[in-house]
Formats: sequence, structure tokens, C-alpha cells
Amino acid sequence: MNIFGYLLMWFGAVAGHKKKAQVLLTGIVAVVLGTPVLAQTPAKRPNIVMILGDDLGFADMGSFGSEIKTPNLDSLAKDGVRFTNFYTRASCSPTRSVVLSGVDTHKNGLGNMSEWTSPNQKGVVGYEGFLSKQMVTLPQLLKGAGYHTYMVGKWHLGKQPDLIPAARGFERDFSLLDGLSSYWDMSNLAAMAPKTVFTEDGKYLTKLPDDYYATKTYTDKLIGFIDANHHDGKPFFAYVAHQAPHDPYHLPKEWRSRHVGEYDKGWDAVRQQRLKRQIELGIMPAGTELADRMWFIPDPIVLAAQARAITGKKMEMYAGMVENLDFHVGRLIDHLKQIGEYENTIFIVFGDNGAEGADLFKMVAGTPGTLNFLSAAINWSQTHPGAWGDPGSYVAYGPMWAQVSMTPFSQYKGWLAEGGIHNALIVSGPAVKRARGSINGGLMDVIDFMPTLLEIAGASYPKTYEGRALPSLAGKSWVKVLAGQAESPRTEQDYLGWELFGNRAVRQGEWKLRWQYESFGKGKWELFNLGKDPGERKDLAAERPDKVKTLLALWDDYVLTNNVILPDRSPYEVLKDTQPPRVPVDAGYPQMIYDRQFVPPKEMMSDPKP
Amino acid sequence: MKPITWFNLFVATILTAAVLCPPEAQAQLPGRFYWRTLTDSDAVPLIFNSISGNTNPFSPDHMIVSTANIDANVAIASYAHTFSLFDRSAAALVLVPMGNVSGDVTVAGKSLHQATNGYGDPMVEFNMNIIGPSAQDNLAKAMRYEPGFSVDVLVDLALPIGQYNSNQALNLGQNRWYGRLGAPINVQIGPWVPGRRTTLEFLPAVWIFGKNNDLVGQTLKTDPMFQLDAHLTRDFTEHFWGSIDGQYYSHGKNTINGVSADGPSIKAYGFTLGYQINENINLTAGYKSTLNNDNSPGNLRMDSFMFTLVFGWNKLVEGARRLSGAN
Repeated sequence: MNIFGYLLMWFGAVAGHKKKAQVLLTGIVAVVLGTPVLAQTPAKRPNIVMILGDDLGFADMGSFGSEIKTPNLDSLAKDGVRFTNFYTRASCSPTRSVVLSGVDTHKNGLGNMSEWTSPNQKGVVGYEGFLSKQMVTLPQLLKGAGYHTYMVGKWHLGKQPDLIPAARGFERDFSLLDGLSSYWDMSNLAAMAPKTVFTEDGKYLTKLPDDYYATKTYTDKLIGFIDANHHDGKPFFAYVAHQAPHDPYHLPKEWRSRHVGEYDKGWDAVRQQRLKRQIELGIMPAGTELADRMWFIPDPIVLAAQARAITGKKMEMYAGMVENLDFHVGRLIDHLKQIGEYENTIFIVFGDNGAEGADLFKMVAGTPGTLNFLSAAINWSQTHPGAWGDPGSYVAYGPMWAQVSMTPFSQYKGWLAEGGIHNALIVSGPAVKRARGSINGGLMDVIDFMPTLLEIAGASYPKTYEGRALPSLAGKSWVKVLAGQAESPRTEQDYLGWELFGNRAVRQGEWKLRWQYESFGKGKWELFNLGKDPGERKDLAAERPDKVKTLLALWDDYVLTNNVILPDRSPYEVLKDTQPPRVPVDAGYPQMIYDRQFVPPKEMMSDPKP
Repeated sequence: MKPITWFNLFVATILTAAVLCPPEAQAQLPGRFYWRTLTDSDAVPLIFNSISGNTNPFSPDHMIVSTANIDANVAIASYAHTFSLFDRSAAALVLVPMGNVSGDVTVAGKSLHQATNGYGDPMVEFNMNIIGPSAQDNLAKAMRYEPGFSVDVLVDLALPIGQYNSNQALNLGQNRWYGRLGAPINVQIGPWVPGRRTTLEFLPAVWIFGKNNDLVGQTLKTDPMFQLDAHLTRDFTEHFWGSIDGQYYSHGKNTINGVSADGPSIKAYGFTLGYQINENINLTAGYKSTLNNDNSPGNLRMDSFMFTLVFGWNKLVEGARRLSGAN
């Protein structure tokens, strides 16, 4: 980078901060006078801290309308900008692969999750089930550009020695290689793989540190990495891929009782409250309607106190998970402030997909007589509510609360309804020139991280890497959006495409075309206007065949461009046979279950005559 | 004092077993007896004690006679109902003791045997939590219940209507009013999860006795007695638990026709095993003994076996089970 590049970056680094007037004045004087101050002490490029909440929902942070207390994450939103039209992939490893490669899943090896690779996808390039070695990763490029590169948390992109974080560009790491784990130890759900696998700085761990608790330990390790190299003045990139709040909801005791009884009111009421706050905050426009409660979830009003308490307690645990995550993010923020790096750090906060509504425990260990069931009987059977959060417990909050986490959207993780892919995004730090605490509705995608961060770091994406030809980047840089020079990185003609587990969708502008397995979908294309109907309540396919045709052409383009191979097997292939038939959800219907005691007028009441 | 009167008095003092049915017998409850449960529940506890020793285990003075052999079999049938009072857990119980007591004692080469059976003085009990979680008046609260540190108040009152024969020293009724003020204390140690629960429980109490104006023609006055029961309980599995039990009594003076004698202090230790047979039935079995059981003069010797069977039910739980069964 030449002196002008540093100059621009330096201005960018200081603008918007507390001492900006004084520093800016000094810089201007220096430039005007032609003094080569900046050439002598070039501004340090910004650090980048990417905080990923595993299964964190769109509406789970206070700054996105939640009642869950997230003051530290909210402080980043207050200092930076919130994006309300940010997309991920529908599940974790596909999203992570895109974050780190900037390439569509169907090209980068995660065309399907390794757990669900279908017979017709096996052996096909782009469907390896791990981050393909043909890709170059963001940390590799940032490292090459002079950054320290650190990772803590969940990897889920391959376990072989040439696939682990240390082999993919991370200089220091403390990583869980599996998709889920106990937060307390190495316990895994699967009987044939009973121990989860961790690496630290490229070595597979034989055991976890004393006093291990995932969220705490990841934070401790990262702070250690940062401090160890702080003296050399190089910027760092930290990929903080927290396990939290992914189930099981393992939580230190002091974090379990912060919302006792608060969720007994039920999911509908909490969704309504969150939407109200979202509208007040400007996250959602006035007039936004909630997506229908999913048809197989009961109206909590008709549930007995016990049922609401037991389901509410699950949400209490989840809220505790998010608040504990926020606490440890706060520790990181505080540390960066203490060492004088906060002001020069770009924070990016997001969830990797929609909130989790499926029952993973049941899927893995729910069949009596299986190895997994018997293993779970020994290792994962602390089912009493008093044991929730302890080692050996497995709590997840279910589809009713997942919809709350995804307020106001429909459905959840794994699906291509907005509830599966539409997430919260906060960006703060020197690259952000927008008003502090502002909100932007530009169409953003997780695939944009690579071009954006490379540009911020003054690096570029090469055509080849170590002799391998690289696929071109599909994302758009946000630098102009962050600088307030554009409202969206995409034009009205640009589109986004998704495919996972055979579900598929494209979005262009405010229009979205979606195909999903029954009963979450119709087994045919549905059309939604997300600008007017973010809850995807009304299928407009019959009314707007022209739009369907246009978007279908984009889908075809997406398939061709990315070598999409629809799976011949899917986790959802028989879903409709296992669920109640889908019916509309109308508030208060049927009246029969809502009827209250009739109380006649007092003056008309009497005892029976003798 | 005529010799026979003295002898009768002596024997009466020893064998008041009966007389006394049973403050101590009734006081001997296993650990976890005062755990709180869902309000509007009912329970029928059946408590069986088999006690033997060289003193009358039920006597307020516990005078030691090295040559005495006292055996008592006492069953207590109870009914309890739980309810909510000012949002605190509360329970009312009625306890009806019954059984038989027999004793032999040799004094100055003369043996005396007495025996009796029938019902003792029924007792009504009220207890209420004053420190700790609020009443479990619905299943949601029951689900969230953890005792933490909880303290109850306990009031017992025995009605002097049990079997009593003023011509005999050995009776099951006491022929006087008496009662107890206590404060069951429950300290949760660790998680409140079936299979992992640990508690430290105390029952400090004071027994207060009225006069018996016709104890074989004599008048018996008994000063208040202090009781402290302690249990360290621990789950072994979700349905099987055990406890180490300790018991301490400091007896007040007994005065018979103006002649006073200090009551001894008693320390006994034992253990209890408990098993929840199903949702309705709990069973415990325990053993307790004074520490030194040799026959040296002046050494108090007493041991007891105790079995309890508690059958409990709640109409909400029962109804839900019927519906589940129907489905």
C-alpha cells in the first residue's frame, strides 16, 4: 500500500472516535504542511474480530429487539451499525465455509453438510463435506498480508491434519472440530464417536484444560493469543466462532436463574413483544406482521402452567446461554480497551444460521436399542429440569422458541424460509463511517466477508494460490456501505441464491422464490414479497407468474454457475409423514378450546327452589 | 412413703413407657419427612418403631436401670394434608399411636413385669414453612422447587385420650397434655436433581408437658425437654437414598410428688435407607442405637428399628395419570 492508501486508512481509523477532532486536526495539518508524519508512523491497519454466535437468532440481541440482556453486544451496535437484511446459509458448516472462503458452498466443499451428503453428491467436487483444499482461506490471505490470525471455537470444516485450523491459515487456535459438544468436557452424542476432537495450535488435544467451560475458555485463549503478540504491533484477525448458544444448553449455575418464570407467558407473547421492540428500534418497519405460529406448535394460552413452565425453562436456559456469551464478549472488549486496541478494531457480530428448532438429541440418540441411545442413557440422561445446564444434560428449546429467536420470520435453521437464513449483523470499528448506532437495510450476505475484509486489510484475492487456480469471489465488498457511500453492496439486478438439503431459494430485490419440502414448504415454488411480507405469510406465485419466471431464470443461473446438484436424499424427504397435516393458523380457532366460564348477571342468580 | 408406693413409683418411672407413649416415639421420624411437596396433596404415613433397652425409651426422664429390659412396638398411623397459607407451604397431620409395651425389671431381688397395648394419645401437628421457597401450589412451582435453606415452624399437641389405667404404671396414654414446638431446617447441598440430592436436616424442638395427676396415685411433673435430630441425606439413585442420623435429647427434671430427678441426655446415632417404590409409595428402614451398649451400671442402652411407609397422592397427578393411561 502506498502512502495515500495509508493516509486514507488512517483517516478511516480515527474518524468517528472520541478524540477524532484533535487527531484529525493533527493529520490535516500534517498533510497541509506536507510533513511526512504518516510516512514515518503509518497508521496501523485495523484488527478484525469476527464474533459468530452458533445458532444465535435474528432477534436474540437487545439491539435487535430481544429482552435477553446483551449489553456488550449492544455496545458494539451502539458504536457501529446494524444490518437488517443480512443472509447466511441455512446451517452451520456451509455458512462457515463461505465465511472463510468467499465462495459458494457448492464449490467450496460444503455443497452439503458432511452429515447429510446424499448418494448422488458423493465424490463430486464441491460436495466433499469439508472446506475444500482447493480454496484459499481468509486467514491465509490476511496472514500473507501481515496479520496475525487467531481462531477460537467451533470449526466443523474438517478434522484431518491438512484440514484443521492450523492448516488453513490460523497461526494460533483453540478449536472444537466437531459440530457440537458438551460445554464442560469432550463428551459427544454419538456412541461410535464418543469424544469430540479439539486442537490447540495445530495439535490434537488429549484432554481439555482444567476449569474448562467452552465460552470462557475460548475467550481466555483468545486474550492470551492477542497478548502474546501484542508487542510486535501487527494487526490481528480473530475468528471467534463461539459454540454458544448452540444446544445442549450447558451453563454455569449462576447463569441459569436470570429469567425464572419470565417465559411462562409463552412464545406468542414473547414474539409479539420482540416485534414491538423491533419496530420501536427501527429494526423492522411499522406494520410488520409476525409469521404464523407454526401449525404444529400449540397456542401457549391453552397450555397448563406446568407445560408453560417446563417449556419456558428451556427458554430461560437459552437466554442464559446468550447472556453468558455476551458476558465473555464483554471480557474481550474490555481487554482490547485495556491494551488500547479497541478503537482500532473492527467487530463483526452475526449468527451462522437461523435458530435451531429441530431436536438434535432425538435425531441422534432417540431410538431405543441403538448404540447412540444406550450411550446417551449413560452419558446424556440428566433430564431433570434441576440438572439442566449440568454435564450430562441435553436441553434444546424446540421450534416454538426458535421462532421467537427468529422474530418476525417464519421457520428456523435448516430451512430457506427467512427464519433459516436471515440473521442479525453488527459491524463496528474504524471502517464504519455511518452514524453510530445506525441501521441499514442493504442486502448483505455472508459471502461478502472475504472481499470486504481483504479490502479493509489492504489485501487482495489472488487468481491462484500455491499453484492452485482459485474460483472467483462471489461476494460484494461492503466498504462503501460501511463508509456511508452506498446503501447496499448489491444492485436491484443482483441476486442471492441458496440450496441446502434440497430446499432452494433465490432473492432479487424484495422478491424471493422458494422451494421447500412439505410440510414446511409446498413441494413447489412459492413467491414472496419480503419488503411487504417479511414473515412469508402470503404465497404470491399464482398472482405473479411473471416474477416466478424471472426468479426461476435466476435460480437456473445459480445452479449453472455453482454446479448445484440437488440431493437425491434429504433429511426432510419424509418430514410430512411425521408431522400433523399442515393447516392454517388462525388466532382463537377453534373457539372450543378458548371458551371461558360463563358468569351470569348476579341479579339473575338464585339457589334452586325447594 | 409406703414401700409399695415407692416401688410402684419406681417402676412407674421406669416403665412409663407406656405412660408415655410416645413423645419420643413420635418424634423419631426419618430424614426427608419434612420435605415440602405440591400443595393439596394427601399422605398416609405409617411409622413402625421397635425399641428395646435398659430404659424406657419413651419416658421423659430416661432413668437407667441396668437390670431392666423394655420392649416396645409402636405403630403410628397418620394422615397429612398439604396446603398453602400466605403463599407458604403448610401441612396438617393427625398421628395416632398404637402398639404394645412390656417391661421386666428386677429391683432388690424382686421382679416385676407389666405389659399393655392399645392406642396412645393422638397428636395433631401443624407445620408451615417460614423461610425458603414459596408454596408449591401448582406444578410449575413444584418443578422449579429447590429447598435451598428452608426453615419451618412445627407445632404438635397431644390429646390425653389414649389408653390409660391409673392403677398401672404401664400405659400407652400419658394422662396429660403435652406438645412440641419445633423448627425443621433443611439445607440443600448441591444440585436438586433426583439421584444427586444431598441435604443436611435438623429438627430442634422443645417438648412441653402438662401434669399427670394420677400416676399410680402420684403427681408427675416434667420440665421441658430439648430435642435435636440431625440427618445427612444423600440420593444413591433417583429412587434410592440413605441418611446418617443423629439424635440428641436433653431431658428436663421429672418431679414425682415433689421429688425431683434430673433427666439424662441421650445421644444416639443410626442410619436410614429409603426407597421410592413408585409415585405413590415411599419406604424407609432404619436403625439407631446409643453409642455404648455394654451393660455396665449407669450406661444407657437403647436401640431401635424403624420402618416407615408413606402413601401419598395428589388429585391433579392422579387425574393426569388416568388420562395418560387412557391415551
